[in-house]
Amino acid sequence: MLKIKRHLIFGSVFLLGAMALGYFSGKSFMSMHIDDHIFPSSGLTENKMLSEYFPKLKKTPGDTPVFIFQGEQPGRNILILGGAHPNEPAGTIAAILLVENIHVQAGKVIIIPWANHSGFTHNDPQEGSPQRFSIRTQDGQRWFKYGSRLTNPIHQWPDPTVYINPSGQKLAGTECRNLNRSYPGRRNGNLTEKIAFGIMEVLISENIDLALDLHEAAPEYPVINAIVFHESSAEIASIAFMELQLSNLEFRLEASPPNLRGLSHREWGDFAKVKAVLLETANVSHGRLKGKPSASLITEGRDKNYVKADKLGRLFVPFKEEGIPLKLRVARHLASIEALISALQEEDPTKIFAIHGLPSMERVKIEGIGQFLAPPK
Amino acid sequence: MKKTHFSIFMLFLAFILLITDPLSPKEFPQFKQPVLITSAGQSAEVQLASVLAKRAGLNYSLSKTATSRDLADVKTIALVIGTSLKGLGAAGLDMSQENERVSSLIKATQQFNIPILCLHLGGEQRRGTLSDQMIKTVLPFAQHVIVVKSGNKDGLFTEICNTHSIPLIEVERAADALEPLKNAFL
Repeated sequence: MLKIKRHLIFGSVFLLGAMALGYFSGKSFMSMHIDDHIFPSSGLTENKMLSEYFPKLKKTPGDTPVFIFQGEQPGRNILILGGAHPNEPAGTIAAILLVENIHVQAGKVIIIPWANHSGFTHNDPQEGSPQRFSIRTQDGQRWFKYGSRLTNPIHQWPDPTVYINPSGQKLAGTECRNLNRSYPGRRNGNLTEKIAFGIMEVLISENIDLALDLHEAAPEYPVINAIVFHESSAEIASIAFMELQLSNLEFRLEASPPNLRGLSHREWGDFAKVKAVLLETANVSHGRLKGKPSASLITEGRDKNYVKADKLGRLFVPFKEEGIPLKLRVARHLASIEALISALQEEDPTKIFAIHGLPSMERVKIEGIGQFLAPPK
Repeated sequence: MKKTHFSIFMLFLAFILLITDPLSPKEFPQFKQPVLITSAGQSAEVQLASVLAKRAGLNYSLSKTATSRDLADVKTIALVIGTSLKGLGAAGLDMSQENERVSSLIKATQQFNIPILCLHLGGEQRRGTLSDQMIKTVLPFAQHVIVVKSGNKDGLFTEICNTHSIPLIEVERAADALEPLKNAFL
């Protein structure tokens, strides 16, 4: 009798423990479905959703905020996309930094910081990636989700064995959830293709002149610290490249291959006839050689394995003990955006564009990202 | 007597100037326009050369995959060296096809007496086995070479230029190639 009683107590405690574990891990899992906060600057003129451009996205996990900064005078129209790959935080944070700081006097800037909104609701299995990382602002920590390269399989399942993207390119099945392989999208396609279609609608209906897609890649990847350009933006990319060199920023200039289909720098230029440029910075938390994944690896970007790999000549960017921190990666994106805007002006000075409040590369490098982010409210 | 001394001094000065002024413009060939800018290796730096030519106010045309058929009325060829596999893929070429195109283009320039100005603007990042192979093939046919310094860290350009007596100018960055490019044309 005593033995059964003991078993009952032990079983009840064990069950309660399992339930508590399930509750808290479930809560943590579901917390990824809650959006981070963005505090737009007073220069914001309109806050739309992507579904307003493509209604089929309404009430889907692919719907995402679109921040519009319309100047008083007409001029150039620019789209900046962050978070096409939600595990490449420099692009997302640079986009958020712009939303929280810029004022446009002439022309229009449209910013989509979480391009693949669904990809921010999970992270890659078996990677041990943290769910979030934080940035210290002037008044408290701001937390940001670290998502996955791909759309959440909860929202789009199953993957085919072979994925044939809207441009007819054959890819591995999982790539059907990769936004940057799904352009120009499909009106009646899967969720990722619908998001891509929605972004194409923004490009076309807003008469975008220049569209920038912000990314990151591992230091062992050859297309790194790169400006990848569609042939229609060859001149502005070249001018920007030289401008950046004068600021002691080394980049690789890469032409978008016409036979590599489904990517933003190819399809945005071909289908929406915009000047399309993709920017890459070097992120160790993305790489295969990294040590333990952690929030500090994302923000500080230091890793001894990469220092070793650099010494062995295995990387495509210099990598020293000080690492490549998030603030430097965001600063590079901001400097590139500024250089490309200035190149656009140089190419055709008759069309104006005036923007204020764009945080400078030097200030972000010295003062940090947090200085330019609103405190948590 | 004083006049003789002065003449000797002036002659000596002229001699010194002659032997110690390696950057004297007359040592660098002067090229004629129009210039055809093309790639040797299909790297994106060919676009940089095009922007530099535009800024220098040159009468130029750009054809990344130029052949001998594009040489009509062309007075100078600007060959932008640097191999990019992405660029080759984009142009629908493989390395052997690109080598063949560049070699026959060079052959045609020799046939029509069109001088070649070589540019290497990609620096250290645009070196490596494939780029080096192109550099060694193309450079000996150049009349003048402009190179971004970091691309010549190992002295490969200096060595080839010395061997073939080709005037070489090193610049810090791609943007700095503007002045030597401007000066190279009449």
